[in-house]
Amino acid sequence: MAEKEWTPKIVAFVCNWCTYAGADLAGTSRLKYDVNIRPIKLPCTGRIDPLFIVKAFEQGADGVLVSGCHPGDCHYTSGNYHARRRWIVFSELLRFLGIHEDRVQFAWVSAAEGAKWADLVNEVVAKVRELGPFTAYRELDSAEVVS
Amino acid sequence: MIDELRQKARELLETGEVDLVIGYGEGSDPTRTMPVFIRRPEDCEKLVWNKYCYNNLTSYLTWPELKTRGKRAVVCKGCDAKAVVVLSKERQIDRKNVIVIGMACEGVGEPLLSKCEFCDVRTPKNCDIVIGPEITPLSKEKQFEDVEQLEARDPADRWEFWREQFSRCIKCYACRQACPLCYCTQCIVERNQPQWVPTSAHPRGNLAWNVMRAMHLAGRCIGCGECERVCPSNIPLMLANKKLAQVVKEQFGYESGYDIDEPLPMASFMPDDSDELFK
Amino acid sequence: MAEFKLNEGRLQELITKLRDAGYRVVAPVEEEGAFVFKEVTEPGQARLDVLRTARSIKEWFFPRVEPTLRYEFDGSAVRCESGLPESPQKTVIIGCRPCDAASLPMLDTLFDWDYRDEYWFRRREATTVISVACDVPDSYCFCTSVGGSPEGTAGADLLMRRTADGGYLLEPLTEKGRAIIEAGEGVLELASGTEEVLVGEVPQRFALDKVKPWLDQNFEHDYWKEISYKCLSCGICAFVCPTCHCFDIQDEADLERGVRIKSWDSCCFPIFTRHGSGHNPRPTRDTRYRQRVMHKFRYYVDKFGVTACVGCGRCSSSCPIDMNICSVVAGVAELAESSK
Repeated sequence: MAEKEWTPKIVAFVCNWCTYAGADLAGTSRLKYDVNIRPIKLPCTGRIDPLFIVKAFEQGADGVLVSGCHPGDCHYTSGNYHARRRWIVFSELLRFLGIHEDRVQFAWVSAAEGAKWADLVNEVVAKVRELGPFTAYRELDSAEVVS
Repeated sequence: MIDELRQKARELLETGEVDLVIGYGEGSDPTRTMPVFIRRPEDCEKLVWNKYCYNNLTSYLTWPELKTRGKRAVVCKGCDAKAVVVLSKERQIDRKNVIVIGMACEGVGEPLLSKCEFCDVRTPKNCDIVIGPEITPLSKEKQFEDVEQLEARDPADRWEFWREQFSRCIKCYACRQACPLCYCTQCIVERNQPQWVPTSAHPRGNLAWNVMRAMHLAGRCIGCGECERVCPSNIPLMLANKKLAQVVKEQFGYESGYDIDEPLPMASFMPDDSDELFK
Repeated sequence: MAEFKLNEGRLQELITKLRDAGYRVVAPVEEEGAFVFKEVTEPGQARLDVLRTARSIKEWFFPRVEPTLRYEFDGSAVRCESGLPESPQKTVIIGCRPCDAASLPMLDTLFDWDYRDEYWFRRREATTVISVACDVPDSYCFCTSVGGSPEGTAGADLLMRRTADGGYLLEPLTEKGRAIIEAGEGVLELASGTEEVLVGEVPQRFALDKVKPWLDQNFEHDYWKEISYKCLSCGICAFVCPTCHCFDIQDEADLERGVRIKSWDSCCFPIFTRHGSGHNPRPTRDTRYRQRVMHKFRYYVDKFGVTACVGCGRCSSSCPIDMNICSVVAGVAELAESSK
C-alpha cells in the first residue's frame, strides 16, 4: 500500500442533543470546516467511558475531542456534570502519562452553536496537525513481546 | 497487643457475635504472614500481629465464598480500615454485619513501606474495636512528593517511563485481586463482546489495562498500596493511583476512606465544578 | 564426561566468546529490583548468583505473547502470514537452575503430545541451556521432594557448579553443551579433578509416593476448602511457574488487519473454565486450587508419568498471600499417612 501523506485523524465523541445538533446546524448553514474529524454520536457525554478515548488512540486516532451540552443544559439533567468530573480526572491522568494535553480536548457546544462547532473543529485539528501523528501510541502496538 | 487480639477474637466467636474472624497467621518464613480464617474460638491462637502483616484483609469481605449467615470480624491496620468505609458507601457490605478490629500500627515492612511514612491512621479510624495504644498520626504533607517528582519531568520522559513500566506487566491481575475495591463480578477485561481491553500482555494492552484500573479507582483508592506490593514486575502502580488521589483532593476536596457519609466524588458533582478544561 | 574450569572473574570473557560464536546470550539480569532472564548486553549484567529469578526460562520458548498469524485485507484480497519463527536466533541461556532446566523435558512431552507444537520446538532446537547448580538453596526450595536435585542434569546441555575458589566447573551433557565448550576455548581450561565443589542440600519436605494415591481418592475433601480460602485467584503462580503451560488464543483485529495471539493463561483465573453458556465448573477458589494441585501431582503423572512440578518455590515466594504449594502437598502426604 502506498504511503499516504499524513493528515490528522480526530475522533469526536459528541452528545446527541447539543453538540451533534450543533454540528448539524454547521452543516445546514453551509459552514466549512476541517474534514479530519469523525463524529461518534452518543446520547450524552455522561455515557462516554474514558475507555473510548483509549480505544480511539489504540485504533489510530491522533487526537480526540469530547463535546456536549453546557452545564445546566443537559438533556438528561446531570449527565454532563458527571462527565465534567470524569474528564477533570482523566485528562490529568493522560497528562501524567506524558500524553500532550492537545491530543484530548473538551468543549461545550450547544445545538445553536453551529459556528462554534466549525471553529472548534478547525482549532482542534490545527493543534493536532502541529503535534504530528501519535506515533508514540502506535509504536506500542506491537504483538511481539521479547521476554 | 496480640494477646488482646486473640482474646477479643475468641470472645466474638464464643458469644456467637461473629461466625468468622479474618486475621493474620504465621507465614512460610519469619518475614511473612498469611491470611487465616477462623471459625472456632480455640483456633484464635493462630492469630499473629507483627510488621509483616502486609495484606489488606478487607479484600476478602466481597468474596461470595466467605459470606456467612452471621457477622464477620476482620483484623485491620489503619489503611485497611479505610476500605471498609468505601465498601460500605458503595453498598458492597452491610457495615453492621462487619466487626472491624483495628490494630494500632507503626508501619509494616522491613524497611518500612513508603506508605507508612505519611500515615495519619496509625490509630485506626472507623473501627468497632481498637487494640493497642494511641499513636500520633504522621504528617501527610509530603505524601505526593514522588508524584510531583515524576510530574516535574518532561512529558516525553514521562511517556517513556510509563511505557517501560507497563511493558513489564504480565497481566497476572494480582493488582486487581489484591485490591479491596476491585470487586466487580465481571471485570472490564473479562468483557469480550467486544474485547474492550486486550487480554494479552503486550504494551498496548497493558497501557489500556493499567490506565483503566487507575481510572476505576479514582476517588476510591485508599492508598493501601497492596497492588504495588504484590506486583511481580515491581511496577510503581501507586504513582498513578496517588496522582489521581491528588487530583480528586485538589479539585473536589475529597479524600477516600475517612468519612462514611461524604458522597463519593465520582458518583456526585457540584454545579460549580471547574470548567477550565472546556472550550 | 570431561569437566572444564572457568576461573573466577572470567565469566564476562566467556559471554563475549559466546557472542562472538553467534549466540544471543540470555542470563538473569536485574530489572527494577527483580531478576528476570534477559539478553545480556553489558558487562557485569549477567548474574549467576541469583537463586531464584522472578520468572522462569519458559518464556524464551513459550513467550507470554506470541503472534501465530497475521493477516491484512486490502479491500479485495486477504494476505496471511504465519507467526511461526522461521529460524529462531541461536541462543544460550546461562544461569538458570537445575529445577528450571528440568521443566524443559516435561514441557517437551506436552508440546509433542497431540500434535507437535513447532512454536515450542523451533525455539528449543535453537537454544542451549546452561544451568548452575545451587550452592545456597533456601526454605522455598523443594526440588528433592519431586525427583530433582540442586545439581540435577535433566533438561540442561551443560551444568556449571561453583567451586570454592570462586570459579565454576563446567560439565557438558549434550552435543550443544560440547559446542559451548568449543566456543569457550581460550577462556576455559580442563578441570584438575581436585576442585572443591559447592553444592547445597535441599532436605526432603514430603514423601512424593504418598501424594498421588491420596489425590486419586480425595477429589472431594474439606482439605481443598481449608487451604484455599486465602487464594486471591490471580495468575502469579501460573505465570512464574516453569511448568505451567496453559494459553489463551485471542484475535485482535480491525477492519483492515488482524493478529491471532497466543498468550499465557492461568487455571486460577475465575473465568478460566467459564463456558459460553455462562456456566462455570470451577466457580470457587477451592475448585481452582484443587485443579492446580491435581494437574501437577496427579493428572500429569497419569498422562505422562512425571510430576509437573520442579520444586523451584517461585509460586510460593511470589504469592501475595503466601500460598505455599510445598506445604499444601506436604499436608496431603500427612493426610495420606494419617488415614492409613
